[in-house]
Amino acid sequence: MRDRRHAAAPGQAGPYRAVRAALLRDPRLLLRLGAWSVAETAPALVVGLAVARAIDEGFAAGRPGLGFAWLALLGGAWLTAAVGARQVVVAVGSIVEPFREELLDHVVDGTLRRSAAAGHGPGAAAVARSNLQVELARDALASVITVVRSFAFTVVSVVLGLTTLMPQVLVLVLPPFVVGLCLFLLSLPALARRQRDFIVADERTAGALAAMAGGLRDIAACRAGDRVAADVGRQVARQARAGRSLARVTAMRTASLAVGGWLPVLLILAGAPWLVRHGAGAGVILGALVYVTQSLAPALGNLVQGLGMSGVRLRVTLERVLRSGEPPRPVTARSVPRDAAVELRGVTFAYGPHAEAVISDLDLSVPDGDHVAVVGPSGIGKSTLAALVTGLLRPDSGRVTVGGVPAERVDQASRVLIPQEAYVFRGTLMENLTYLAAAPKPAVEDAVTALGLTSLVARLGGYSAEIHAGLLSPGERQLVALARAYLTPARLVILDEATCHLDPAAEALAEEAFARRDGTLLVVAHRLTSATRARRILVMDGASVQLGRHEELLASCPPYADLAGLWNPSDSQELVP
Amino acid sequence: MRAADRLVKRTIRHSGPWLYVLAFTSVAGALMELALPFVLGRTVDSLVAADSASPVWLGTCAAVVLLIAACEVFGVWASGSGGARATQWLRLRLLRHVLGVGPAMTRRFPEGELVTRLGVNAEEVGRGPESIVTGATLVIPTAGGVVALVLIDPWLALTLLAGLTLIGLVLRAFLRTTTSIAGDYQSAQGDIATRLVDALAGARTIAAAGTEDRERARVLTALPRLRLHAMEMWRANARAGVRAGAVVPLLEVAVLGVGGLRLAAGDLSAGELYAAARYVVLGAGLGAALGHVSRLGRARAAAGRLVELAEEPQTAYGALPLPAGPGALELRGVTAGVLTGIDLVVPGGSSVAVVGRSGAGKSLLAALAGRLVDPDAGQVSLDGVPLPELSSEALGEAVGYAFERPVLIGETVADAVGLGLGDPTEAMEITVRAAARAACADDFVRRLPLGYGTPLEEAPMSGGERQRIGLARAFAHGRRLLVLDDATSSLDTVTEHRVSRALAGELGGRTRLIVAHRVATAAAADRVIWLDGGRVRAYDTHTTLWRDPGYRAVFQVSGHDRAGLPPLDESLSSPLGAGAS
Repeated sequence: MRDRRHAAAPGQAGPYRAVRAALLRDPRLLLRLGAWSVAETAPALVVGLAVARAIDEGFAAGRPGLGFAWLALLGGAWLTAAVGARQVVVAVGSIVEPFREELLDHVVDGTLRRSAAAGHGPGAAAVARSNLQVELARDALASVITVVRSFAFTVVSVVLGLTTLMPQVLVLVLPPFVVGLCLFLLSLPALARRQRDFIVADERTAGALAAMAGGLRDIAACRAGDRVAADVGRQVARQARAGRSLARVTAMRTASLAVGGWLPVLLILAGAPWLVRHGAGAGVILGALVYVTQSLAPALGNLVQGLGMSGVRLRVTLERVLRSGEPPRPVTARSVPRDAAVELRGVTFAYGPHAEAVISDLDLSVPDGDHVAVVGPSGIGKSTLAALVTGLLRPDSGRVTVGGVPAERVDQASRVLIPQEAYVFRGTLMENLTYLAAAPKPAVEDAVTALGLTSLVARLGGYSAEIHAGLLSPGERQLVALARAYLTPARLVILDEATCHLDPAAEALAEEAFARRDGTLLVVAHRLTSATRARRILVMDGASVQLGRHEELLASCPPYADLAGLWNPSDSQELVP
Repeated sequence: MRAADRLVKRTIRHSGPWLYVLAFTSVAGALMELALPFVLGRTVDSLVAADSASPVWLGTCAAVVLLIAACEVFGVWASGSGGARATQWLRLRLLRHVLGVGPAMTRRFPEGELVTRLGVNAEEVGRGPESIVTGATLVIPTAGGVVALVLIDPWLALTLLAGLTLIGLVLRAFLRTTTSIAGDYQSAQGDIATRLVDALAGARTIAAAGTEDRERARVLTALPRLRLHAMEMWRANARAGVRAGAVVPLLEVAVLGVGGLRLAAGDLSAGELYAAARYVVLGAGLGAALGHVSRLGRARAAAGRLVELAEEPQTAYGALPLPAGPGALELRGVTAGVLTGIDLVVPGGSSVAVVGRSGAGKSLLAALAGRLVDPDAGQVSLDGVPLPELSSEALGEAVGYAFERPVLIGETVADAVGLGLGDPTEAMEITVRAAARAACADDFVRRLPLGYGTPLEEAPMSGGERQRIGLARAFAHGRRLLVLDDATSSLDTVTEHRVSRALAGELGGRTRLIVAHRVATAAAADRVIWLDGGRVRAYDTHTTLWRDPGYRAVFQVSGHDRAGLPPLDESLSSPLGAGAS
């Protein structure tokens, strides 16, 4: 696949730049679109002229043959238009499909990078929502291209047609038409604002209703029905207000349409005696009316409708899609650390400027080849520590280094983090196992044996079996992730509750395999047994942090003794008095 | 369906004066539109002939055009405003009703269904009056156009009808071809979305490995296929739209031809010929009129779906405040769902665990205790007052519920904990923080980007953190009775231990009913209600019950039951699970 990074240009630009880039990407497409547009608007060029000549020179002059000839020309124009319109739709499709692809690429890229940076992603619902936004943006752009282009070509065709028919008519038609167009363009910003408010209010209402429907039990349990009714009711009222205010502005927009579309009709009629004096017959006046009512007014109406709705929709959805701005880019200058010693010096980290620090002023020194377990209640900052060591988070103050290199600049192949939520993607088992580093089959088989995946491989039907997350149990997914990490050359391995879905025996097998492996092992422990296997244990409990061996900590660290007492599996049945 | 029609009628009444404006402008506009071709034709004829009547015709023409424009402007205004007003009325009414019914609503209608009914369906019904008016008045120009053509020349009308049939056939063929293309297209779209969701689940792995670019390529694998199917759709669109679009103009040309012969013969004036051509266009609008009829059908169907919501009975509250008391809970002869003939007295201030195999009715008992559900027979009372006689406020103050999967509602974390406690005040803030501390939530909430003020959507929480907020909410509410329905299942052992300490300590004065799966929880309670097959099998201390092998088996079996639950819960109960295996 070609590198699409440069193609993802809409990320750096506003909606206008994105649209311009989409239009100018392939100028040949624009030329094709223009050529077929001429064919599509052929009736706008000849319709009035054909009607006028067919009546004046044909039927009314007693020469039906000539009349039919003019009508045949008109019919031919409509058939040409049919062919042209078809090609126009396809050309518009060819312009907006690459545009959609870029937006989709932008969304996927941004979502992936932001989720990677945040350590968690939005749910399936949010993904569906952004896919829908992309779809809406594509449809809106197609509609805007269609109406703006059709309007421009129609106006030119009608002006040419009227000039051929009788240039004096232009004096009657053009001024009110231009005034109507200007009125519309002037009302466009207000209309866009209202339309946008309405779209936003509509989405908010749907969101509020969904939250309410999902929380009926909890609302009833808190007897908060009145309060929620008032909250959601306010949103419903806000949406209704937005709807009414949109209706008002739409009515004004319709007025501009009346000026641009109907006033020329009245002026042609009022000016008819003057036209007749200049030699116009009934046909010419009817032809002029046909130009206005059948080509000019509908084109203006479509423009008003198209820009007023699709244009605004395009802007709103594009702003949504592009709003997130440029996703964080990965660090490029990485270096290979000399060994896998981990050093933390005065490390403080908080999730926001107003948040309390999760880790404050932490010093920790893990020499190369050490095996440390981190224990503590959930939410105390164990995963944050793992993320700091991996370089996924940067400390607010202090330094985290691996083998002398700042953690965020460490070569990614030199360390490996296995989080609790094991990642299994659609692909073969082999692709999943060698995701982080290519490995020959014997090495893969060794890892499979060492970590106890043999029966899983057999159940799936070998390494070439196609797998996805839903096919495996949470424990099996963790085994795949562990084997994948085991196969990398990384000397620093960080297991962040990576074995929590395994039974104690499988967990022991996996941890022992990693312990035998060369390098440093940092385990965020899920069970106390993981901790007892480690050489040293880091106890995190709020403000206090202690490092030591199991026996020392039992004696010197009350929180650890507390933990150990609760944690010891053999106690479970003995809790009974 | 008659109730649905009544709802549509009431909606019409609540559209207010806008509906009359819409009705008037629609009828007047339609009549004027029908009149215009005739008037225009006559005006041109009279002007060309330099007729003395021409100023009259010109004036008529101006009046007709002015009326059409005015009707359009006011019609658009009226239909938008009236629809918004009617939809708002409907939504507010249904919203209060749904909230009044409470959780019983979700038992009959899935959440998504409720959202659709309150959202899209309410909108359809709200636009119902507009559809009726617009649909009815669209018949005037279309049918009128056909009639006018018949009056001018019956053959022209026949040509028009043949053409309309042709359009119908083309559109039907279009619908057939698009469905199969759309299926392929949606499957390509689905592939991209599925892969993206997969990859997001592995966000931390991807971040650590720095494989974002590879993941992007993998997610977008189906892009070429998507483009292929999308272009097929554009082509299909082009074919059908164009065929349909060319028919009306060609019909018009045909009518001009036939009419031209009559003009040459002197049977028709130039103006009449023009009028005939315009009537063809108006008459071809019949399809759009039929579309409006189908919109009306949709509005009626939607009204039927809303009526179903409105038919669910609301929970009725009494007016009594809660008398002074320790929070003694009493169930007398209670039968509901699987539970039959439950008689229980839970002394005020005591803690009682509820255990039993899955399906024994534990959650139902919990729901009955604080009136989330009313019993089919029997009575539940708190400090001597039957629950249905208590006011909603009294119940809200007395009873606090915590669930296994709490749904958090409100703008911020503080809102979610203090839901229903009234407007935020300093006193409430103190209550919220104290409750959060007791639930071991204070620590992690203060570490959120904006602490208690962090918007819920910007505070991603694990199952355990969510449960802690849910517990805090219960603690902030239930001054007299706390009902914990498996509300600590996702907490790690240490945190659960701390929560139990708070329950026994600072919250010890309140009556506690705790649905539990773990032995330790049952052991810590003053007494245990052992439910079996919908009945109370025993109600005694854990120590006494433990001698019964059947009682011990409840905990072992429940360990197996839990294997069916999402992995998070299973893993977090592992300290005990490990011991049992």
